[in-house]
Amino acid sequence: MNATVTPSVAKQPVSLIVNNMPETVHVTPRTTLAEILRDHLDLTGTHLGCEQGVCGACTVMVDGRPERACLTFAVSCEGAAVETVEGFKGDDLMDRLRAAFHRNHALQCGFCTPGMLATARDLVERLDTADEVRIRNELSGNLCRCTGYVGIVNSIMQVIEERRACGLPCTGTPRLDRAPPTGFAPFDADIFKQPSAPAVSSGTMTVENGWSVVKREVAINHSSDTVWAHFSDLDAVAACLPGAKLAQHDDSTFEGHISVAFGPIAAKFEGEGTYKTDDSTRIGTVSGRGKDRGGQSAVEGELSYTVRRAQGNPDASVVDVGFRFRIQGILGQFNRPELVNGFVDYILGEFVANCDSVLSGGELRYNKGISAFTMIRVIIAGKLRALFQRS
Amino acid sequence: MKPVPFSHNIADTLQLASKALNTDGSKIIAGGQSIGPMLNLRLVRPTTLIGVTRLEELQKIHIIGDTLSIGAAVTHARIEDGIDGVDLPPMMRHVARSIAYRAVRNKGTLGGSLAHADPAADWVTTMTALDAQLVIRDARGKSRREPMASFMRGAYRTGLQQDECITAVEMPVAMGQALWGYDKICRKVGEFADAIGAIVIHPDLKYARVVVGATEDAPLLLPDMAREIARTATAPSLGDIDSTLATYLPGASRVKRQLLKTALSRAIAKVIPS
Ligand SMILES: Cc1cc2nc3c(=O)[nH]c(=O)nc-3n(C[C@H](O)[C@H](O)[C@H](O)COP(=O)(O)OP(=O)(O)OC[C@H]3O[C@@H](n4cnc5c(N)ncnc54)[C@H](O)[C@@H]3O)c2cc1C
Ligand code: FES
Ligand code: FES
Repeated sequence: MNATVTPSVAKQPVSLIVNNMPETVHVTPRTTLAEILRDHLDLTGTHLGCEQGVCGACTVMVDGRPERACLTFAVSCEGAAVETVEGFKGDDLMDRLRAAFHRNHALQCGFCTPGMLATARDLVERLDTADEVRIRNELSGNLCRCTGYVGIVNSIMQVIEERRACGLPCTGTPRLDRAPPTGFAPFDADIFKQPSAPAVSSGTMTVENGWSVVKREVAINHSSDTVWAHFSDLDAVAACLPGAKLAQHDDSTFEGHISVAFGPIAAKFEGEGTYKTDDSTRIGTVSGRGKDRGGQSAVEGELSYTVRRAQGNPDASVVDVGFRFRIQGILGQFNRPELVNGFVDYILGEFVANCDSVLSGGELRYNKGISAFTMIRVIIAGKLRALFQRS
Repeated sequence: MKPVPFSHNIADTLQLASKALNTDGSKIIAGGQSIGPMLNLRLVRPTTLIGVTRLEELQKIHIIGDTLSIGAAVTHARIEDGIDGVDLPPMMRHVARSIAYRAVRNKGTLGGSLAHADPAADWVTTMTALDAQLVIRDARGKSRREPMASFMRGAYRTGLQQDECITAVEMPVAMGQALWGYDKICRKVGEFADAIGAIVIHPDLKYARVVVGATEDAPLLLPDMAREIARTATAPSLGDIDSTLATYLPGASRVKRQLLKTALSRAIAKVIPS
């Protein structure tokens, strides 16, 4: 491991071999292999499409195997041997592929071609025989908007045949053959029971015109007078909300931020809003909007809560919570109710636990940020999945 | 987009890797095939990345007694190719081939996939079906084991602590002889699943497990169905599968249930002739 543990984000030398030439570039660790090639070595044949690993345009050979140059960071390139479309000099299979692509009209605009050739070369080398279905499956990781793939598939099939005709062996392992199902003699199995899942929350989550609408009923073990006193004090409410911080407020407006830090993902929404509380009905409403600068997303929403006495127990109360919000930008893929539900219940759980604790004269459990099951990661799940699915 | 600035250390001992993990904002990177897109989208903003793929311990595939141990940093491609001199369960080799694309498989790792805990990922369901255990090590060097069937707590939630690293995945060597079926439904080859069905039966071990995956939650075991399949050696009817799914997943949409039903019945048909 590098001698220092303190973050060093300064440029550092990275030495690698590109198209058989030793190169040293000075780059920051966040620089991707694609950028090293394009911006530092002027090898602009490596194209960038999605920067998500989906389109395959950036595919290059690293130590003889295709990899996504958009998902490889500088430090891990140290010592690597990289072959790009500008290289492959004297490479028999690549020469044959280039000729075949030319012959079969396997490219039009050429955007996908550098990545396509890297993948094609890998296939020609690995596949024993030219199996069209298999080739088409394998090519699903390289998107071509122009050709319809026919020429590309034919080129690969032809070069596989040429390789076989020359007596060159393939390097891949054979496919696993599957025997037809045989069945088995009945037996009594020792069955493992999964630990039971947490209780399903009481409440709903719907999506209406792009707004997510969440309704929940929350029980708090204190009298409704105490709970309302707490809930009508913005400072007290903010203190109990995981990740929230009030910068300033007057009788009806506030500024502040809410941080969400979940596993690897972090977002900090900064913004402002208005609030009002009505002592006679014990209804509070908060509305606000905020921006996550680093992640370039925006959120806006309205929260309302009604505090009432729990039936049959004067020392307990029930809070009806209604929350309407929408998120735009990268984090905006927020319309998967089953995921939002889990997140909302997590936050509410933390919030209620904090309220309970404070109202009992105890301490806040913590207010560092939302650190377990959370929205952001969950949204990303949706976002990334959507990206993969769209392609 | 460019990721936020971070420092990036390649760990060459596990102790140093775990120590570095104890600092705020630090994050393991294995193959980078899941965290990479998130970095590029700035959804993840770490201060430090700690690369673990060069750790020898995480690269090993070996058999100790009757336990097969696969290092956490073994790539999907290595499992697909199965050329490490140790026989892997055929189910693993089959599943590996259906993950993403070769360029992604060349870098993405078994441990990274389990730690990431995407409900639609292939290994989380497969490893649950095969009764795998994770070997997890913390910063003080203490190792613990957690069964895959409870390790994943929900979508993107696991039993991992901040300073913990998955070092290996273990299962009984005998799982290599199990009868198995796996079916993944997705719109385009190589992408995340819309539905996964998996079954593993091993009469000698008295083992039967039926799992559905890509449910937006941790892979779901269907213990009663597994017991019944073992007891009768016949496949449940589509109607039985449907009513079981309706009981376990009351909130699932009709489309999701139909997909899961189809995937599971196809998986079962690979074990029990019709
Ligand atoms: C285009 C594309 C398509 C894909 N399709 C599929 C698919 O069809 N099926 C599928 O299952 N997957 C799919 N994936 C995901 C792929 O399999 C990833 O490789 C895998 O999920 C993550 O492994 P990784 O080694 O790349 O982990 P990384 O991205 O490096 O890390 C992922 C997470 O795990 C943590 N982590 C990594 N290693 C460890 C460890 N040893 N201990 C503790 N924490 C660790 C990291 O901190 C990070 O939070 C796809 C990915 C891409 C880019
Ligand atoms: S740019 Fe790398 S895969 Fe699309
Ligand atoms: S030739 Fe235009 S994208 Fe493939």
